[in-house]
Amino acid sequence: MVNRSEIIIEAKDLAYQYTGEEEASSPALSGVNISVHRGEYIALIGPNGSGKTTLLKLFNALLVPTNGEVRVEGISTFDEENILSIRRHCGMIFQNPDNQLVATTVEEDIAFGLENLTLPSAEIQKRVGQVSSVLGLQDLLQQAPHMLSGGEKQRVAIAGVLAMQPGCILMDEPTAMLDPAGRNDVLQTVQHLNSEQGLAVVHVTHFPEEAVMADRVVVLEDGRLVAQGSPKEILGNTSLLHGLGLQSTAAVELASLLRQDGFDLPEGIITNRELVNSICSLEQTD
Amino acid sequence: MFIGTDRLTHTYMPGTPYAKKALDNVSFEIKQGGFALVIGRSGSGKSTLIQHLNGLLKPTSGRVFFDGHDLGQKGNELLKIRRKIGLVFQMPEELFFSETIFDEIAFAPRNLGLEETEVQTRVIEALEEVGMEAEQFIDRHPFQLSAGQKRMVALAAVLSLRPEVLILDEPTAGLDHSGQKILFKLLASLNKKKNMTFIICTHHLDQVAALADQVLVLQEGRLVMDGFPQKIFGRRSQLIKMGLSPPVTAEIMADLAERGLDVRSDIFNLEDARAEINRLRRHRVK
Ligand SMILES: Nc1ncnc2c1ncn2[C@@H]1O[C@H](COP(=O)(O)OP(=O)(O)OP(=O)(O)O)[C@@H](O)[C@H]1O
Ligand SMILES: Nc1ncnc2c1ncn2[C@@H]1O[C@H](COP(=O)(O)OP(=O)(O)O)[C@@H](O)[C@H]1O
Ligand SMILES: [Mg+2]
Ligand SMILES: [Mg+2]
Repeated sequence: MVNRSEIIIEAKDLAYQYTGEEEASSPALSGVNISVHRGEYIALIGPNGSGKTTLLKLFNALLVPTNGEVRVEGISTFDEENILSIRRHCGMIFQNPDNQLVATTVEEDIAFGLENLTLPSAEIQKRVGQVSSVLGLQDLLQQAPHMLSGGEKQRVAIAGVLAMQPGCILMDEPTAMLDPAGRNDVLQTVQHLNSEQGLAVVHVTHFPEEAVMADRVVVLEDGRLVAQGSPKEILGNTSLLHGLGLQSTAAVELASLLRQDGFDLPEGIITNRELVNSICSLEQTD
Repeated sequence: MFIGTDRLTHTYMPGTPYAKKALDNVSFEIKQGGFALVIGRSGSGKSTLIQHLNGLLKPTSGRVFFDGHDLGQKGNELLKIRRKIGLVFQMPEELFFSETIFDEIAFAPRNLGLEETEVQTRVIEALEEVGMEAEQFIDRHPFQLSAGQKRMVALAAVLSLRPEVLILDEPTAGLDHSGQKILFKLLASLNKKKNMTFIICTHHLDQVAALADQVLVLQEGRLVMDGFPQKIFGRRSQLIKMGLSPPVTAEIMADLAERGLDVRSDIFNLEDARAEINRLRRHRVK
């Protein structure tokens, strides 16, 4: 069992200023305190330029803080000697599926990170076998990565991260480039890994529908953490979201318009199903 | 015929074992001032199709028309024609090559041989159109931007050409809600006031569906549907079977209809959904 009180990533009083950024302009991140717990699913949302990608990069030591500290499984990201081990504990998936696959076959791609760990080849074989069966990639192992659909490419990238047996996966808009089927594919995969294997997830997204499945939604604005809570708390708070120039799910937005029109809809509607059920039960009791 | 194709077929790497027929006998027409969406699963041929529409790819067979010209027949004139057809690629930020955002956006107008003062006016105007404050951004390096900001700069770089036709490949990927709103408001106004023609490939129909007057559906390189949005999105089960998803408001309305409520489901935005649900209630009260 995963111990959900255990902390995997801890960031304290975190600030980051890109060099070359004008003195006057505010830092990309400032004063951010956040911990990621084992097995937790966090959705990270916020306007363009609010610091989401920067925060992920600080989490896996692609950047080091200008102020404050990040610890991953207890290791500080300032500790250069342990950078590889930090990246193994928390791997990153990017937006564009085409930029992260490097090898000539899917199998080699999944094994790529493992080769760098200088594991015995029997262990590599075993892990590639395991993750490809978890992710349903068995039949694609000999394919060239560029021949796959976008959703398949993202699953291969996830498999490569998963083979490192991380405690946490960081995903920066992993579905932005995918068609609806590919998107479902990736979302279901990640949900499965989170619920069945206790993998912690930090998922940056501009789709409010994707935040519904999180345990906790964290909101950034202009480099600061301005709100966090359950999906019902955050997605249900349209005044918070609208104030940031964001929108909630279609169900929340429509429910709030209908309440203005006098429909007596209960609070806490965030999915289409909840909205449809509530409207239908109103119609029946009319 | 304003812009369109006649029996267009495109095969990548013809005559090799890797030959791939990406477009198969595709014929359609888009009227001047039209607003067309091209939808289809990943790999269905969308990007291949739009690269023909501005002459970047040459047909294997068939023809591409623009404003009375056959693009395949044009040698030297092709460049001049292409200036009237702006194309924003799927991952435009990967193609940035200038040292500053100013130069990136100024590149095309300078290429037209415009005076530097006119170039400057156009750059500032284009940035304003995409909702970015010129002063804050013009001197920065294009890579020093967040993902969403890069998208907007790429769009500004094409708008500065003042094209007659604007083709956008997945323009909303990575944009936050207010960025999407700015984008669609801008497209709607260019379409209405300047009669600019739009062709947009997208998986995310929620906001753009209401602007469109034509939808083209590609499946494995073949054009399988072409018609008004109401008609195309009305074929819900067919689209879902193809791995595509209708706009979310249409989904909610269809779910309500399925539960026995007397509502239309060809509804593509929140305000129309709100009105339709209200109509139902008023109807009952009477
Ligand atoms: N390499 C860089 N150099 C200088 N400034 C940068 C760099 N990368 C990002 N920035 C700036 O830092 C801030 C935060 O950027 P970041 O990429 O973290 O935002 P984001 O929340 O991921 O946005 P998006 O939703 O658009 O991807 C922005 O103001 C951006 O312009
Ligand atoms: N440069 C290329 N070389 C070879 N095949 C390609 C190339 N670009 C695209 N294809 C193939 O052509 C088909 C259509 O691709 P594309 O037009 O990119 O589809 P979409 O934009 O709808 O995802 C796919 O099977 C793809 O693999
Ligand atoms: Mg980002
Ligand atoms: Mg494409």
